[in-house]
Amino acid sequence: MNLDFSVLWGEPGRLIVQGLVMTLKLSAWSLLFASIIGLFFGTVRWLGIRWLEPICWFYVEFSRNTPPVVQILFWYFSASYILPHWMFLELRDFGYEFGAAVLALSIYHGAFVAEVIRAGLNSIQKGQYEASRALGLGLTQSLRFVVLPQATRVIVPLLTNEATGLIKNTSLAMAIGVVEMTYQYKNIDNFMFRGVEALTAITVIYLVLCLATSGVGALLSWHLSKHARGRATRRPVLTSE
Amino acid sequence: MSWEQVWTAANWERLLVGDLFNTGQPGGLLVTLEIGLAAILAGTLIGAVLGVMRSSERRWLWIPAILYIQTFRNVPLLILVFWAFFVPPMFGVELSQFTSVMLAISLFTGAYIAEIVRGGIRSIAPGHIEAARALGMGRLQVTMWIVIPQAFFSMLPALAGRYVVSIKNTSLAFLIGLADLTEIGKQIGARLMTAPIEIYLTLFLIYFVVNRGISAATRLLESRERFNALFLHV
Repeated sequence: MNLDFSVLWGEPGRLIVQGLVMTLKLSAWSLLFASIIGLFFGTVRWLGIRWLEPICWFYVEFSRNTPPVVQILFWYFSASYILPHWMFLELRDFGYEFGAAVLALSIYHGAFVAEVIRAGLNSIQKGQYEASRALGLGLTQSLRFVVLPQATRVIVPLLTNEATGLIKNTSLAMAIGVVEMTYQYKNIDNFMFRGVEALTAITVIYLVLCLATSGVGALLSWHLSKHARGRATRRPVLTSE
Repeated sequence: MSWEQVWTAANWERLLVGDLFNTGQPGGLLVTLEIGLAAILAGTLIGAVLGVMRSSERRWLWIPAILYIQTFRNVPLLILVFWAFFVPPMFGVELSQFTSVMLAISLFTGAYIAEIVRGGIRSIAPGHIEAARALGMGRLQVTMWIVIPQAFFSMLPALAGRYVVSIKNTSLAFLIGLADLTEIGKQIGARLMTAPIEIYLTLFLIYFVVNRGISAATRLLESRERFNALFLHV
């Protein structure tokens, strides 16, 4: 077994960087849609709209109790049966594997984001919301200007955890053939026999990505708590817990 | 919808136990549960040791623990599975698919459980530890008989969450070709070709039932009276 890490400067390295770009694109799109879905479902659950309650409960429980990789396979293999025709065509033009992976990851992580948002909103006294409604602010206005800004302090650390989880779960997209970083490892291992070197590099890249994400989240929550308390009580640390 | 094509007796048998009764090769839910339970046990042990190390005040104990936790928490599990399956053969060690998946999930779960254990230990009132020390118990004794039994109950909900995640994670086994529940489902789907919705909904159903079962089982233990009545006959 002879390891030669200098091969990473050649073709394998180029493939890994390509994979990294795909991983980042996948993470960014999924995070965006997961946040939108999560914001919607979290708010709806917090508002306690009676007839939507079972739907939200089912969605969250379904996502929490089934494996993400099966969800990815489900959306990939049955998209043409389930989705409206125009959406399927749109996805296919966009790169069908990529679209299915984004869809599955957004739906999976949307449920977790919804729980995070709900936890954040629950940390605010309901009186704040009622007072803002009584003062004549609309639903969206009172959420946007009164409740959510206060909830961010709770939401940001938890959301950071979700973001790192999402970045890690993008590696599952290789199951349906999205050419991201983990897929490139298989590629390099199969065709260039430089598996160990590539796997080491990819592991380090994932580590850096996830630690950087939680670092940014820790800085952000430190910043937020500083303003809320009037003075810095805690130095930023590299864990979001 | 063609449920009658999917929900045949033969398909259910394959989904639940694989080819156990045909070729003797277990698969399906059986293998998923085997990996899951083994990984849960091993992960809990690793996590308990690391969590105690992480809460220690001695530097040579908590620095390795924090390095381990941060490394394994920030790498995708799939990458760990690949490390455990594709790399050892290059150094002359052959691990079976089952062993490598179990190993990867245990190490991964251990890192998360370590943080849960640390949280549980921090929830113990310092007076209890001081009292036990004053009564002449050693540090290890205090941890074993005072801290862990009390921390156990505050950790249970978080632990149940992690156990469910571990069961979900066993689905990665199909990516290295182990005949777990997901792989069997995929095979049935590939053979039928026309019923992907039904087959994957069936998979969702099975995973859902198992995971809700685990949550329900741990909720039974959450009350201390019930736990004592079940296991200690107090």
